[in-house]
Amino acid sequence: MEGALAGFQQAYYKHDALELASCLKTAPVDRLYDFWRSTNEARVEQNVKNAITYGLGGIERSEVQGWIDVFADFWRASNKIIKADQAQNQGRLSERHSVEVYDAWKDLVSTFQKYIGNGTLPHWIIFTLYFVANDLRKFAIKADTQLAKAKPVTFSAGFSDDVVTTTPKNQKLEEAARVFSRIFALCMSDRNPNLSESRKWAVYCIANLQFKTYFKLKTITLCKNLIKSIEAQADMPPWNLYPKAHRVTYMYYCGVIAFLQEDYNKAETALFNAWAYCYKGSTKNRELILTYLIPCRLITKSEIPSAQILEEFPHLQNLFGDLVSSIKKGDLAGFDKAFAEGEPEFVRRRVFLTLERSRDIALRNLLRKVFRAAGYEDLKEGQTEKDRIRKTRIPLAHFATALRMGSGGGQRVDDEEVECLLANMIYKGLMKGYISREHAMVVLNKKGAFPGTGV
Amino acid sequence: MALPTSTSTSTVAWSNPLQPPAYNSVAARTTLARPPPAQVGHSDTPMRDPAFDASSQPVAAPSEKPQKVEWTPEVREYVGRAFEADNAITGISREDTTKKLKDVISFFAERSQLESVDWSTYPLPQELLRDERAAAWVQTQNNPLLSSPNGLANSAFDNPQSKKRKSQDKTDLSEPADMSVPPWRRTNLESRITYSNGHNDKRHKKNALSGDVSSKFDQADLEKRKQRFQLGKTGISSTPPWNSPKPDSDADMDNAPCVGTNMSLEKSYFRLTAPPKPETVRPQHVLEKTLTMLRKKWKAEKNYGYMCNQFKSLRQDLTVQHIKNDFTVKVYESHARIALEQGDMGEYNQCQTQLKALYSQNLPGRPDEFTAYRVLYFVYTCNKTDMNDLLAELTPADKTKPEIKHAIDVRSSLAVGNYHKFFRLYNIAPNMGAYLMDMFIERERLHALANISRAYMNVGLRFLTDELQFGDDNECREFLESHGASQFIDKKIDDHGKPQFRVKVKEAASMFESLRQAAFALVDIKGQK
Repeated sequence: MEGALAGFQQAYYKHDALELASCLKTAPVDRLYDFWRSTNEARVEQNVKNAITYGLGGIERSEVQGWIDVFADFWRASNKIIKADQAQNQGRLSERHSVEVYDAWKDLVSTFQKYIGNGTLPHWIIFTLYFVANDLRKFAIKADTQLAKAKPVTFSAGFSDDVVTTTPKNQKLEEAARVFSRIFALCMSDRNPNLSESRKWAVYCIANLQFKTYFKLKTITLCKNLIKSIEAQADMPPWNLYPKAHRVTYMYYCGVIAFLQEDYNKAETALFNAWAYCYKGSTKNRELILTYLIPCRLITKSEIPSAQILEEFPHLQNLFGDLVSSIKKGDLAGFDKAFAEGEPEFVRRRVFLTLERSRDIALRNLLRKVFRAAGYEDLKEGQTEKDRIRKTRIPLAHFATALRMGSGGGQRVDDEEVECLLANMIYKGLMKGYISREHAMVVLNKKGAFPGTGV
Repeated sequence: MALPTSTSTSTVAWSNPLQPPAYNSVAARTTLARPPPAQVGHSDTPMRDPAFDASSQPVAAPSEKPQKVEWTPEVREYVGRAFEADNAITGISREDTTKKLKDVISFFAERSQLESVDWSTYPLPQELLRDERAAAWVQTQNNPLLSSPNGLANSAFDNPQSKKRKSQDKTDLSEPADMSVPPWRRTNLESRITYSNGHNDKRHKKNALSGDVSSKFDQADLEKRKQRFQLGKTGISSTPPWNSPKPDSDADMDNAPCVGTNMSLEKSYFRLTAPPKPETVRPQHVLEKTLTMLRKKWKAEKNYGYMCNQFKSLRQDLTVQHIKNDFTVKVYESHARIALEQGDMGEYNQCQTQLKALYSQNLPGRPDEFTAYRVLYFVYTCNKTDMNDLLAELTPADKTKPEIKHAIDVRSSLAVGNYHKFFRLYNIAPNMGAYLMDMFIERERLHALANISRAYMNVGLRFLTDELQFGDDNECREFLESHGASQFIDKKIDDHGKPQFRVKVKEAASMFESLRQAAFALVDIKGQK
């Protein structure tokens, strides 16, 4: 027991929340087994007490009690984890084991919460709690998976009118989400005027944990409340002083949430911030940011990512490469093909419905080619080559032909549909001009017929 | 204050000097808050502890709601009687009685209905307990599945009542020929059907709500309904559904599906607030007949109010009996279709949610048809998140099914603004898809008009009629006029003397745009969960 807690003492005196959290890790398994063997159910309190009192000199008795409770809880959780581990090895792991692990770990989290809340444990322990809470999330997910396997369908209980209840299949994770929001409140409500000792420093990392949980639960709307409550808080420590890791993750989530609410401008700002501050070495995170930033830019600025960026991230090249090149070429058939191929992944990433709208840009590029191919008006007297004017009256038939060629001849596009697509371009401001049905012509603006494209 | 308020406990809520003395000289213990542990009998209850003691510590909500509650003399008398030695029943302890008494009083107190109860005739708590236990015993005997009495003991108020009803119902069942038996209990199949003439089911409802005594119903049933609705006397303080007594443990309910014994084809829907009684629940073979009858009736009468009510009770009966098979699917499909036909999106969505879960268990039905409806429904609600989740669920095989493909095409045509394609798809919607599309057709017409009005100077009316798939020019013109665009329609007589209409869309552009925005802002999401 003393041996197992030696690391704890060191971390404690160094005020290192991360190192301390590593003492409460359930991996590696060998270490966990060692710790578990060092005592037993009946003697755990006493053993932990001895070890802690021996190790921690000169600190308050109440705090010692706090740590005793923490480690006793940790031992009980370890006990359940090892039982589950053994059960798994014997092939008789049931949902009960996972639920027990989750429950035991939840007790550990609440003990932390209790002692941090009443000020017994020092403020920096809140970061240790973050790691412990993150583990709770993992145990909850595991328990839910097991539960779902054991009980695939729940019957309506109580007096509900319908056969199948809408009871969530993520019962434990939802419970964990509630625990997290209590921890969040614990951080937010810290009234300590001395900011250096405030629990407010953990606000963003706990919020990130909540975001992650809500995304998993598909209750993304709850994230909004979280952001609102942070924005409403007046006395937060300066944003710049928070660790970059917290800031970047927080910005990323804010961006994605705005993205899903179709607030693309806000999303772009947040995602770009996240991108700018993200650690250059963490490829996966940068890739995640770009997964949303690229579709975002397509909508807000009709901008496609550079080949260079895509090259840097092979996964994104796979995902967006064909799509982007079809947009560039104005190749509608290519776009549709790439879009259909990427659909499962786009849907999974929740960018499908946004990317769909970028077909407009491909279409715009195609129509723009028609416009350029029409050439120039004949030079009038006194005009020079320089200020000659493009032909702005283009027969509808030209666009129709282009569209039929562009869509690969697969689907027939009738004349009304061509008009409809052109009308859309005009309505969305991607093309300036009007359609004249009598003359079967499209009359484009003399200047800036396709805004932002140089013609 | 005419009461012996020598003790310090009497100060809190006892402020009404007009209140008459709440006790007579009978030495009855009337407090609930502090049962003296050493007490053997209650005749020796100390006098220092009379009725007002109960008032200082409200029985209704001992600690969490320390509000002023003034017990009426009737209530206090009732409390007094509960503890009289003569009323004691062997086998029921004082503690149980006290608890029951608390439950009963708090039940009414929470609903501010203390005055509306006739306390002089209301059964004493020990009697309620006795009945309850007897009934629970009977039930365990009758129904091996329903072995847990816990599930019954949660609502202090409903149970005693329902037990009483139970015995009555039993007599009813044993004497089917009795004239007092309500029509739906008669065994003759034909006589069970009320050939609804439109106002018949309204009357059902009225009876239930107002508690009017009608010769058609036996007293117990009316009583039951009255109490379920809690509207009988105090209309304003009716129990909100979320306040109704809930079982402490869902698990009990889980293990105990009800087995119905009711034989009537029709049954009005009531929200359950207590475990259902088998006599009020219809078994599957009866429900099957009910469904056939309802389908016929729907075709003949199209009385949606009645249909919805009947289907809801049908669904409820399935639920309480844990019937989950292809018949269940049929019921939900039928109700969903009827709701669609009627444009009742709330009810439709409930059915859809259930169907999704039922199909996921590989029950036979029409999953493709209803998946297509779900796509269209999310188009209607503009719910991008749900749409995304739904698209994620669809397999490539699903997408080749004609219904689903149609729905997906509808979605994508709208997503890219291809109104031309959208209105063509509207015309060829399979199954009942057109009913769903009707929910958003007007909105999309406005959207298309906003679109067209930016791209054209003016267009012929016929062009709009064709593009937006109106039945004819007149319908199109009516649509435009009803949206305040009449001044933009030009009428000219052509060479053949026929009138030609043109619409100056350019001038109406901003109007259509604001109409479009208003239409999309108003997505009705009732019934969304």
